[in-house]
Amino acid sequence: MTADKTEDQTAGSFTENLSMLQMIELDACTQCRECLNVCPVQEVTGNPAVSPPEKIRMFREFIKATAGLKSRFLKPKEIDRKLLEDFTKAVFECTTCGACGKHCTVGIFTQRLWPFLRKEMISRGLVDFKILTDMPEAIRNTGNPYNLPAEDRYHPWLPAGITIAEQSELAYYAGCTGAYTAQPMVKGDVSVLNAIGDPFTMLKEEDEVCCGFPLFISGQHDMLEDLTRRLVTSYQAKGVKTLICSCPCCVNIMTREWPVFYGKELPFRIMHITQFVLNALKQGKIRITAGLKTRLIYHDPCYLSRGVGVIEEPREILRSIPGVQLLEFERHGLNSRCCGAGGAVRKVYHENAMAMGRLAIDEAVAKKADRLVLSCPACYGKVNEAMVGHDKQIPIVDIMELIAGLLERKQI
Amino acid sequence: MYQLLAVAAYIVYTVFSLRLLWHFLIWVRASHANRGVFRFKLSTSFNTVLLMAIDLISFRRVMIASGPLWVGSLIFHLSFLLVSLGHLRYFTDPVPACIQDLQPLGLIAGYLLPASVIWLLSIRTLSVKHRYLTWHNYLILGLVLCISTGGLLLRTVFRTDLVAIKSFAYGLLTLQPALLQDAYLFALHFALVLILVLILPSHIFSAPLIIMEARRREQELRMVMHDR
Ligand code: SF4
Ligand code: SF4
Repeated sequence: MTADKTEDQTAGSFTENLSMLQMIELDACTQCRECLNVCPVQEVTGNPAVSPPEKIRMFREFIKATAGLKSRFLKPKEIDRKLLEDFTKAVFECTTCGACGKHCTVGIFTQRLWPFLRKEMISRGLVDFKILTDMPEAIRNTGNPYNLPAEDRYHPWLPAGITIAEQSELAYYAGCTGAYTAQPMVKGDVSVLNAIGDPFTMLKEEDEVCCGFPLFISGQHDMLEDLTRRLVTSYQAKGVKTLICSCPCCVNIMTREWPVFYGKELPFRIMHITQFVLNALKQGKIRITAGLKTRLIYHDPCYLSRGVGVIEEPREILRSIPGVQLLEFERHGLNSRCCGAGGAVRKVYHENAMAMGRLAIDEAVAKKADRLVLSCPACYGKVNEAMVGHDKQIPIVDIMELIAGLLERKQI
Repeated sequence: MYQLLAVAAYIVYTVFSLRLLWHFLIWVRASHANRGVFRFKLSTSFNTVLLMAIDLISFRRVMIASGPLWVGSLIFHLSFLLVSLGHLRYFTDPVPACIQDLQPLGLIAGYLLPASVIWLLSIRTLSVKHRYLTWHNYLILGLVLCISTGGLLLRTVFRTDLVAIKSFAYGLLTLQPALLQDAYLFALHFALVLILVLILPSHIFSAPLIIMEARRREQELRMVMHDR
């Protein structure tokens, strides 16, 4: 590596990617370590070096060394490369589940802070997880981070007989992870939407590009404005007033970050599919007729519960199934425990992610649930994977996959 | 020696102010592009403001994390505040009525402060779940324990000439520090306070802001995907 390159990576301001609020947040950490009690990465690694206060302490050191009072009067310090590498590892080992922020004694919004700390490391060229750094190119070429053909986005799972309107006030966004890796889930989504009967539209396969979440979460923000504008303009052209999506990560970036990249409020509202389906149930547009004498346990996806506050709707839907007994994880709702699929960790720290997934499986089995209900394509993929070779087994089902099988369309 | 203390006080005061100002300048120079979290700022209602204030005063977030820690933290911060306010009587002439009225509470706080430090240190060293303290936090708690115990001794056992101390302290403020004779324990007490000011963690300024912002965000969470 050239001397110049090394200097680019270890010197210069560390504050350019952070908002004022985030700077204050970094400062506000009291190093009390209470958040370690809820961090799933701590639970499976037991390594405090990758804990929230340690990441914050290290990043503060970087700021102090390059922008602190002393560094202004004396020569700014160059940061030890090893320390930067340790920090990069710590910040990418996190699932960005946000549990630490929820339980933080001062309330730091860690779920949004970590991606910006990652961005700093990415911009310094310190991240060499190829699977992550290849994503922008893949999205540019194929529209999805998996680098799979755009023309295969819908046809492997979109059931025949589903009517997709050309123009409609209602649209459905499948999302890359659902469309390519959790197909029973998106198939369930469109089947339920079809049963509800309100006409809905979808973008053409090559137009339904990535929502930007994997780039946002991994700190690669350059393409985000372009992706947001492309999608928003396409939906606007179809006259969309409500955009429905089932992926918590997509929903999260759409509601929280799209308006920032778009530069103003979106011209349509975003709804999670459980919200839309619950409304349809309440309005009598669909009815769950088939009973299911079973014990279900529902896992809250971090980006749906802590991320955007959708907690009750999935539960209400599940409770409306005749015969169902709904169980809860010890930690649920806003306090839910990450299954290991979040924050791109499943791609780079596979073992940790598997161990976290197995904790969810073990608890569901210990609670004597018959099925584990998920509502996130990333969780769906990871927990299914964690089941392979594990001594405890439980059937996994996506919430819409389950509902799709139990519906009767009411003729109105 | 007292001239030395006075000079040290001015140096510490200057360093502290500079540090604060620099901190603030670093915050101001942060990115303006990344403002996502401010989206619903205008929706901050009176109800939310009230909840933000309650969170700040009650240390609600610490209470949720740990009951014993909450008791210790609340008493520590409250008594620290009362004791500090009580000390304003040395720096004001005439002493405002509100500061005078605080004196009985300040007296109780004078006993509670070292007790709360001992409580916090015990939890942080003995409890399996909470056994952890950074060396910086040890230093702060250790210093506060020495300072508060010293203060108590000055008040109860080694009674000092309060008039002389007030002339010294008030003199510091008016840039005419008075001479102080043979008040060694007070000198130690004062020197330790100067060290404390030097290493005061900056979270005492930033954490209150974040505690309030966190409550606003929690209230806002209900509106992210639900009808506003
Ligand atoms: S976001 Fe989740 S995984 Fe990351 S540090 Fe916080 S609790 Fe741990
Ligand atoms: S709980 Fe909050 S303040 Fe305490 S160490 Fe964790 S991040 Fe820092």
